[in-house]
Amino acid sequence: MYSRRKFLTQTCGGVGGLALTQLLNTDGLLAAASAGGMGGTHHKAKAKNIIYIYLEGGPSQMDLYDPKPMLNRLDGQALPESMLKNMRFAFLSKESARIMGTPRTFKPHGQCGMELSDLIPHIGSIADDICLVRSMHTDQFNHVPGQLLMNTGSAISGRPSIGSWLSYGLGSASKNLPEFVVLITVGRGVPGGSASWSSGFLPSKYSGVMFRNDGAPVLNLENPARINAAMQKRTIEGVAQMNALRNAEVRDPEIESRIAAYELAFRMQTAGPELMDLSGESKETLDMYGVNRQEPKIEGGSLGGVGLFGTFARNCLMSRRLIERGVRVVQVIHASWDHHSRINTELPHNCALVDQPIAALVKDLKQRGLLEDTLVVCGSEFGRTALGENRPGNRSVTGRDHHPNAFSIWLAGGGIKGGQVIGETDDIAWNVTKDPVHVHDLHATLLHLFGFDHTRLTYRFQGRDFRLTDVHGHVVKKMLA
Amino acid sequence: MRTLDLNLLSFRPGSKCRTWLALAGFAALWQSGGLTEGRAAERAKVNFGRDILPILSQNCFRCHGPDEGSREAKLRLDRQEGLFREHEGFTVVVPGKPAESELIVRITTTDEDEVMPPLSTHKKLTPAQVDLFKRWVAEGATWGKHWAYETPVRVEPPAVKAPAIAVQNPIDNFIFSRLETEGIKPSGEADRRTLYRRLSLDLLGLPPDPKAVQTFIDDKRPDAYERVVDTLLASPHFGERWGRYWLDLARYADSGGYLNDTLRPYAYLYRDWVIDAINRDLPFDQFTIEQLAGDLLPDAKIEQKIATGFHRNTLKNDEAGADLELDRSKTAVDRAATTGSVWLGLSVGCAECHTHKYDQITHKEFYQLYAFFNSTAERDLPAPRPEELENYNAKLNSWEGKRAKLDSPLEAYLQTVLDTKLPAWESTVIRPTARWTMIKPTDVTIATEDEERALVPDDDLSITPGIRAPLKSRFIVKSTLNLANVTGFRVEALAEPGKTVGRSKSGDFALAEFSVTAKLPSGEQNKLELATARADFETKTGVAAKTIDGDNGTAWSVGPQTKESHVIVFELKTPQTFPEGTQLVFELEHRIVGIMGRFRLAATTSALPLEPNTIPDTLVAALETPHEKRSAAQVNELARYFARTADEPGQKLYAPILEHAGQAPDFPKTSAPVLITADRKTHIHLRGDYQRPGAEVEPDTLEVLPPLKVRGKRADRLDLARWLVDPVNPMTARVTVNHIWKNLFGRGIVATVDNFGAQGDRPSHPELLDYLATEFVRLGWSRKQMIRFMVTSATYRQTSTARPDLTDRDPLNVLLARQSRHRLEAEVVRDVFLASGGLLNAKIGGPSIFPPLPAYITAFGRNRSWPATEGEEQYRRGLYIHLRRNVPYPMLLTFDASDTSVTCLQRERSNSPLQALTLLNDPVFFECSEKLGEKLAAEPGDIDQRLHRGFETCMSRPPTTAERKAMRSIYDDQLKLSGGDGALAMVAVARVLMNLDEFITRE
Repeated sequence: MYSRRKFLTQTCGGVGGLALTQLLNTDGLLAAASAGGMGGTHHKAKAKNIIYIYLEGGPSQMDLYDPKPMLNRLDGQALPESMLKNMRFAFLSKESARIMGTPRTFKPHGQCGMELSDLIPHIGSIADDICLVRSMHTDQFNHVPGQLLMNTGSAISGRPSIGSWLSYGLGSASKNLPEFVVLITVGRGVPGGSASWSSGFLPSKYSGVMFRNDGAPVLNLENPARINAAMQKRTIEGVAQMNALRNAEVRDPEIESRIAAYELAFRMQTAGPELMDLSGESKETLDMYGVNRQEPKIEGGSLGGVGLFGTFARNCLMSRRLIERGVRVVQVIHASWDHHSRINTELPHNCALVDQPIAALVKDLKQRGLLEDTLVVCGSEFGRTALGENRPGNRSVTGRDHHPNAFSIWLAGGGIKGGQVIGETDDIAWNVTKDPVHVHDLHATLLHLFGFDHTRLTYRFQGRDFRLTDVHGHVVKKMLA
Repeated sequence: MRTLDLNLLSFRPGSKCRTWLALAGFAALWQSGGLTEGRAAERAKVNFGRDILPILSQNCFRCHGPDEGSREAKLRLDRQEGLFREHEGFTVVVPGKPAESELIVRITTTDEDEVMPPLSTHKKLTPAQVDLFKRWVAEGATWGKHWAYETPVRVEPPAVKAPAIAVQNPIDNFIFSRLETEGIKPSGEADRRTLYRRLSLDLLGLPPDPKAVQTFIDDKRPDAYERVVDTLLASPHFGERWGRYWLDLARYADSGGYLNDTLRPYAYLYRDWVIDAINRDLPFDQFTIEQLAGDLLPDAKIEQKIATGFHRNTLKNDEAGADLELDRSKTAVDRAATTGSVWLGLSVGCAECHTHKYDQITHKEFYQLYAFFNSTAERDLPAPRPEELENYNAKLNSWEGKRAKLDSPLEAYLQTVLDTKLPAWESTVIRPTARWTMIKPTDVTIATEDEERALVPDDDLSITPGIRAPLKSRFIVKSTLNLANVTGFRVEALAEPGKTVGRSKSGDFALAEFSVTAKLPSGEQNKLELATARADFETKTGVAAKTIDGDNGTAWSVGPQTKESHVIVFELKTPQTFPEGTQLVFELEHRIVGIMGRFRLAATTSALPLEPNTIPDTLVAALETPHEKRSAAQVNELARYFARTADEPGQKLYAPILEHAGQAPDFPKTSAPVLITADRKTHIHLRGDYQRPGAEVEPDTLEVLPPLKVRGKRADRLDLARWLVDPVNPMTARVTVNHIWKNLFGRGIVATVDNFGAQGDRPSHPELLDYLATEFVRLGWSRKQMIRFMVTSATYRQTSTARPDLTDRDPLNVLLARQSRHRLEAEVVRDVFLASGGLLNAKIGGPSIFPPLPAYITAFGRNRSWPATEGEEQYRRGLYIHLRRNVPYPMLLTFDASDTSVTCLQRERSNSPLQALTLLNDPVFFECSEKLGEKLAAEPGDIDQRLHRGFETCMSRPPTTAERKAMRSIYDDQLKLSGGDGALAMVAVARVLMNLDEFITRE
């Protein structure tokens, strides 16, 4: 590594301008600089990449993934006192809340016969690839603590996100893109902001980098208006040239790193437009993701905003393109699933928005042979209550409140055993009755798939060795292929 | 072992808040230990605290340490008695006899079932460590405390036998004598340009003024250097530079995090307090006391209360439906943990859920520290800035002048009615029968869905909720009342002239519930039973009786009559007499639609029924006073009331006055987030869960440290703060000088600046650390004097050029045979750009700024407003950039500014392509190169001269010949590539200069 760097410096200093082009074409020159923080995995990894689709807000499990025929029969009835004891809710008044039925219908999908709601037919078409977990549970019933727990393993702010832990553990496979990319459909706004992709106390290079899916993907990727491409190139060369001169005086390895960073930056400038250019994608692919779909009108408007069908579809397609280009971790966020009211309008609209592109992504990864190495996770921070939300002040009951006891997520690819359902809940999806999977267990399993023992992927901060799973977590063996 | 174990290093890279030095330092420790060890003649006796304890802690304490919960085989090695006791027929350590000591047997055995640490822990002692254990036992196994818990001992600075460069002060004696032992020569003194730039960046965070550099170069006086130091220490920018370091520790931000990420528009008052305190060199002991307990100081000034904003920088979860008690308790946990990290250098927060696994901090002791902050509440105190007050007073004066003008025709008219219309009207007035006694509030708070604020009643005993109009609020008014046979209470909802009575959009209010609780001196609490509630006016749905129906979803409102004052009276079921010392607690809960704009409470002993009468009490008093005994003021009040309410010509004259009244200037809204005391009992939280209370504890400190001195019955934050800065406390001075040292030398004497505990590094120069700690106290805790002491050392003045001879021996520059060379902090990177580009607005303090950003960067959270700062304000220093927790300013994030959620004791210094993109293309940075380039292009002289000047502006030194040539070739190429645009080519060269490593590096 030292000799490589030395080579780099000498090349830059000696040959000046010419060297850069050569360097840009020299693959692998900088690879060593981006090795992971752990210097290797603990065991052989099943997954190399992850696309983590985060449907912020808590989608309703009994309207999507967890069929509960009893709900409609119990509609309008109160819950027994025993089930409400020790429960806390964000909004609903326990005493007067009643069970709310669902207009959704469920039918089996795939060889495995996984029962899924009529709102997600496309996801139904990949049932044999996915492992549906109906027995997730969490400790948190408010969005931000819930999201922090789901995305950083702790309800307290300031911890590294899953993506940051993975970047830290794995390092980057891309020489001209960041290690961890975040694509957001803002919708109602991501409640905890960047906390879900922050590197916390890990070095900031492990932090998720927000990409746009249109125009220049990253902030500052475009040259200032007055600087043409040739001038930019000469600028980078000039910086390398003069940095090398200084380094001859002070001999600081940091200068060598900085020269390398400028070269990488220049490559990102080239890689950016190439990444964004969808002209190489076939019409079939674009149609499969629904990039140019017609967006249906939503009656009464959507809290999560309109005009996002194309954005989300492009984000899904973009995540495949990022993975293809060596990005290890992609987080796709859509923030519009907090259906306290108008659930029967908002939920179908948002499902129509995500169902097709998500299923297309899994199919596309599969047909390109990428699914084997790429773990796809689709989840949220909690589920919703079987009780209708009777928030004081609401005129009518049209939604569901936050529910931490039981919710559903699914995983596919990257070492996951597809075509199976893990866990069961009671008749109203209130409590888990079989194979409970805590958020920490999910995290332990994710790390396991990437070759890490979750108890040993640690980072020392303020005198303590921190882990994603804190002091908890068990690998869910059933999930593994 | 003469070289560093690089494998060990490689698996812990830097962190945003750098702790990798922990391990690097650990390795270096063995290395430096090895350096000394290598010299047989100087082979020192093994020291338990220094040599053995760290290995025990690292490898054994997890199972055999302080934490009872995880202790194996009932064996603990962190205590003297545990180490030397008999255990299951063996003795753990037999002094002088390694072979008989079970500890030695177990760490040396090859039996996989017997070996310690067990294989399952993946921990293994190195042969060198095993050897240390053996030697320690053989040498008699002397036990000792962890080094940091021992009082600092000031030793005579050791002599340097043959100084390679002149010793400037005792720091050099410690550093150079150690180098001498190692056979290493220090580096020479840096040249004056480098020194000036280094000082300027270190002390002010700004590049030097080229003229000042030249003056320094030309100054032949022997104390020229010291003069520069003193000038820089006196600069008001010093407080900005060193204040920013402190703000990292204080986890300062301009928003509260979590879902709403509620803005804290006045958080800057604390930031500015820090800058000012550092500029006036407030001694560090006082600096500590004011931040932890400024509110408890006798006759605390507003500025001392603002200082308590240190612990108001915690995050706050104000999401609707959030578990507020959980948030409050986690906030207190953070305050205790942060206090431990910042002042004690101990990770006390690790004992939140269980006894510390490595350090002597029990679970109970953590909650003793927590108790100080559990007995604390948050307040926002009105704190208008002097210039705001001045502005307000000026507006008020002019407003009052106009009012006087409008008043004079009215006054003239009033004189004409005194003996005519007024007596006639008086005879028609029906006077209310009840007489009211005003409630004098002793304490008023407004509790909204997300905060609790203190309010100060006006002189007329009325209460206004102040700055913000929160959605839903509960007023809590405490008072003492010496009255017998109280029959009822009254609330006056007062409409200020020209304004509405309530704060809802329509000017209404909705009083949902009213209650009065009597807290008797015996401790007994009675919620008083209210029989009726009647108002002078109510709407169809908002009837008065709803204020006592126990349902906070229904309320009393006044619908269309929002311009008038209103009254509601409550009759007690039975008359009450309150013994002396009784406290009455009034609660007024409002509904979402709005709160009262101003209200006042009263009680009465009059007979029932009580009528809700809006005639002011003072007017009733005036009416009841015989004509001849009335004061002029009473006469005037009567006449005005008559004119305003019952007389047509009077009302005409009143109309403009009322309209003008509505335009009265608002009192400045600025209010300071501070701490106050609130008595609460504290229990241990079992497993850190506040819903599982364990034994009750009292506020106290750690047993391993000197005892706390308590002023009163119960220890408070002031006792804690004074304990921290008591010179007998071995931690605070050491930890603080180490912070200062780290900022000036690139790494701490204890490399783990955040951890002085058993898991932390040992000091590289223990005697120097103790010398500095005692010197700090001797210098009266003066930060400036301590910095002066450090920067005037020869050690500091060395060149930072790498030493190939030491690349392998001392790659981390632990021994300081040269200065360190490091990239500037995020904010300072911005500052040097703005300064060198000639754009910097050097204004100090005030509200944070919002540099322009694309919307997609600022608008992904729930709180999306980013009102871009325009004009000169946008070119202010980096430390004034608005810090929104959920939307970090990208440039600051990219350059490793501290994460604002927890205290940050050391930042990472990363080097990434995103940094390159930022400096190259971010509009503000490009603008800096544009400004510099255009300035150069417009200057006289030939191209080379201008390039030369540009270089000097950026680096504070002339270019070398090679650099001159390189610049010229860049210029020539860019000239061609830009189609012959000379100014643009100059901009392009300036852009190269500002993107050079040296430009953003302190050398």
